[in-house]
Amino acid sequence: MKHTIILIAFFLLSFPVVMGMGYQNHFQSPKSTAMGMAGTSLNLDASAVFFNPGAMSALPGRLRFAAGLHGIQSSTKFQLEQPSVYQAITDNPIVLPFYLYASASVTPRLSAGLAINEPFGTRVTWEEGWAGRFLTKQSVLQSLNIQPTFSYQLLDNLFVGAGLSILLGKTEMIRKLPVQDDNHEGELSIKGNATTWGINAGILWWPASDLRLGISYRSQMKLEFEDAQAIFKVPSLVETSFPSPNTVSTSIPLPASLDAGIAWDASERWMWVVNLNYVFWNVFENRQLDFAINSSVLVDENNPSEYSNTFSLRIGTQFHWQENLVLRAGTFYNPSPVNPNYFTPENPSLNSLGFTTGVSFMPFDGFSIDMALAVIMGIQEEVRYTPGNFNGIYKSRNIIPGLGVSYHF
Amino acid sequence: MRLRILWILLFALIAFSCEPEINTPSPVAGDADFSVFVSLGNSLTAGFANNELYKSGQMVSYANIIAKQMLHTGGGEFKTPLMRDELGFGGRLRLTTGTNCLGNQGLGLSTFAETPDPMNFQPIYNEEGPFHNLGVPGARVEHLLMPGYGLLNAYFGRFASSPSASVIDDAMRLSPTFFSLWIGNNDVLGFALSGGTSGSITPTEDFRVHYLELLERLTSTATGGVIANIPDITSIPLFNTLPALGLVLVNPSEVAELNALWSDVPEANFQLGINGFLVSDASVPGGARNLRNGELVLATLPQDSLLCGGWGSYKPIPENYYLSLQQLNQINQALDEYNAIIVAFSRQFDLALVDARQLLREAKTGIHFDGLSFTTEYVVGGVFSLDAVHLSPRGNAIMANHFIDAINARYNSTVPRVSVTQYPGIIFP
Repeated sequence: MKHTIILIAFFLLSFPVVMGMGYQNHFQSPKSTAMGMAGTSLNLDASAVFFNPGAMSALPGRLRFAAGLHGIQSSTKFQLEQPSVYQAITDNPIVLPFYLYASASVTPRLSAGLAINEPFGTRVTWEEGWAGRFLTKQSVLQSLNIQPTFSYQLLDNLFVGAGLSILLGKTEMIRKLPVQDDNHEGELSIKGNATTWGINAGILWWPASDLRLGISYRSQMKLEFEDAQAIFKVPSLVETSFPSPNTVSTSIPLPASLDAGIAWDASERWMWVVNLNYVFWNVFENRQLDFAINSSVLVDENNPSEYSNTFSLRIGTQFHWQENLVLRAGTFYNPSPVNPNYFTPENPSLNSLGFTTGVSFMPFDGFSIDMALAVIMGIQEEVRYTPGNFNGIYKSRNIIPGLGVSYHF
Repeated sequence: MRLRILWILLFALIAFSCEPEINTPSPVAGDADFSVFVSLGNSLTAGFANNELYKSGQMVSYANIIAKQMLHTGGGEFKTPLMRDELGFGGRLRLTTGTNCLGNQGLGLSTFAETPDPMNFQPIYNEEGPFHNLGVPGARVEHLLMPGYGLLNAYFGRFASSPSASVIDDAMRLSPTFFSLWIGNNDVLGFALSGGTSGSITPTEDFRVHYLELLERLTSTATGGVIANIPDITSIPLFNTLPALGLVLVNPSEVAELNALWSDVPEANFQLGINGFLVSDASVPGGARNLRNGELVLATLPQDSLLCGGWGSYKPIPENYYLSLQQLNQINQALDEYNAIIVAFSRQFDLALVDARQLLREAKTGIHFDGLSFTTEYVVGGVFSLDAVHLSPRGNAIMANHFIDAINARYNSTVPRVSVTQYPGIIFP
């Protein structure tokens, strides 16, 4: 029964995101979002199951829950390479990635937990008729992570944990084909599903009462979309050039990431967090499309992407303003993993600067209503997609409010 | 308290939810004055495509595309002698489904059945002139100087200022500040399209004298301009779609039969496998021979005659459907000389120069713009329209960008380029 509910959630409710950071979704808890997305060294609520499994056994209470969602409003603008005045903009719907975390103490030292969230995703829809439509009209990657996790208190001040990530992925790609009749341009759409798994492990070290250090690692995974549906809409006279029904195989690597963070309680009321995030994006070397049936015009593709590893810095703070009110703020800089010579509008990730803020309201002990707002500016850059000679300037803006609740007792 | 925070959040959301704005420098005219731009040339300049001059084709001629982009850098009105409809003089081709002589269904060509608007044939200068797009289908370099050319060429006749006007006179009436001139294609094309059986190649000295006069007239008012050289005819699909060595014989008895049939024609020989098509050639004994590698078969050749009529094997292909190596050499030599003159004049008059020849040479092996690939292949290549000689709208956009690049490089201007994808491709039925 639970399985069914998860699947419904996946296919009907959840939508992925774009935020100019490859196709990772860093918004997994409003508390973390509000503090510049730093989470590894925090043991504030059940979101530790995802951010640092080690921190899970360092949480207060015996049973902890957290649930919520972020709303991602993302907009990217494009201008053709200079000199030009041609501009286009994305027409992305607001997407609402959710999260559910639960953890329970099995023994005083051992905790078990479960995370259900969407750690990867992108959804980029460009406006109708835009100049890059033969490369991409719409690009969607959705993921659902189901992660059973255990955490153990090794020493008085040392906590370790690990979880198994079972990841369901779904992709949808639409691009236009340069064959048209009086009314329509040809179109290729690809739809596929895949499942993969990986590891999420972490350590929390609590060397002093006012200092916590965390390290967490999420392993690389790869979504292998075997025999994804390839659907062609083309003028009837050229149908033979686009063999149908057809399938296509492609894969999307999900990079490993390593986080290290420190949380320092400067006073009873102030906490400062610094988080270093390293993502092993270099696994994304190319993007292949291997059609089951080829023709003289429908040929397999091997498009270079050659992403680079990224290192980002996140700084956040929280201030316990009143007994039941906590204020938060943060900032981060996220370099783009995308190679500037292979920058495709499928995933227009720019170097980005984020500013975040948020508030938690605790109406009664153990219960917290968390709100966050992140504003992320993708910094204007002129880039190239050399294989298709599609070059131009991109700039993006993302507004991400988050809302969640957490409870422990 | 909570309410106030919510208000702050909401305010922040509204303040930032406006779309991102890209900051780039505004286009500038640099050292050029684009306020009165005239464009002189032939069918390519006029926007002739799919074997006809018609309204939507005229509006996407490379000249009209450039003029529209010049609006961002001080350009003025650019009047085009538009046809009233999509049919022009009635020769427009479209792709249809067809059945060939073997009964195979596929793509074919047909002309539109509708009757063109009679107004297409009426003089329009008095109501709509003067015109800035002065491209005249069929014009050679000398024609642009010729008084009364409108009496010889109805495409000019309909928009000339008077029956005795010349193209250059009509251009100079506008006192142009900037011009484009792309002329010379027809100085070899008439000869080439007849398979060398009629028409003539303009003598180089005549070409030079006429071209010089055009530039002298134009630069008497214009402070800047752009000229383009002439592409190879081997870049044109009409000369490239059918292979010279296209006769494939797989049956030994057929080979024997053909060799017996042509036994008294010394240069007609057939073997198993690939053969040159058999063509008429008055200069060889017996009046026929096999085509040689490098010779060109014109796509005007009726394909049913090739497939079912025994042309190229049992019957020699008439001389007007191919170009011999010798004829090709004549054409190429003339083009080389014309292009050397154009380059020299671009320096002498200090004008922007477009290497259209090089662009189409590159297109033969494939060029990429905005995620699209283009070749000079017929229909599927995307650069040429259905008449296999004139540019498609996307081909015009590619050419316009090359003109714009040349103008910007010479005049330190930043006339914006266009996205090729914003122009239509070949329309399938």
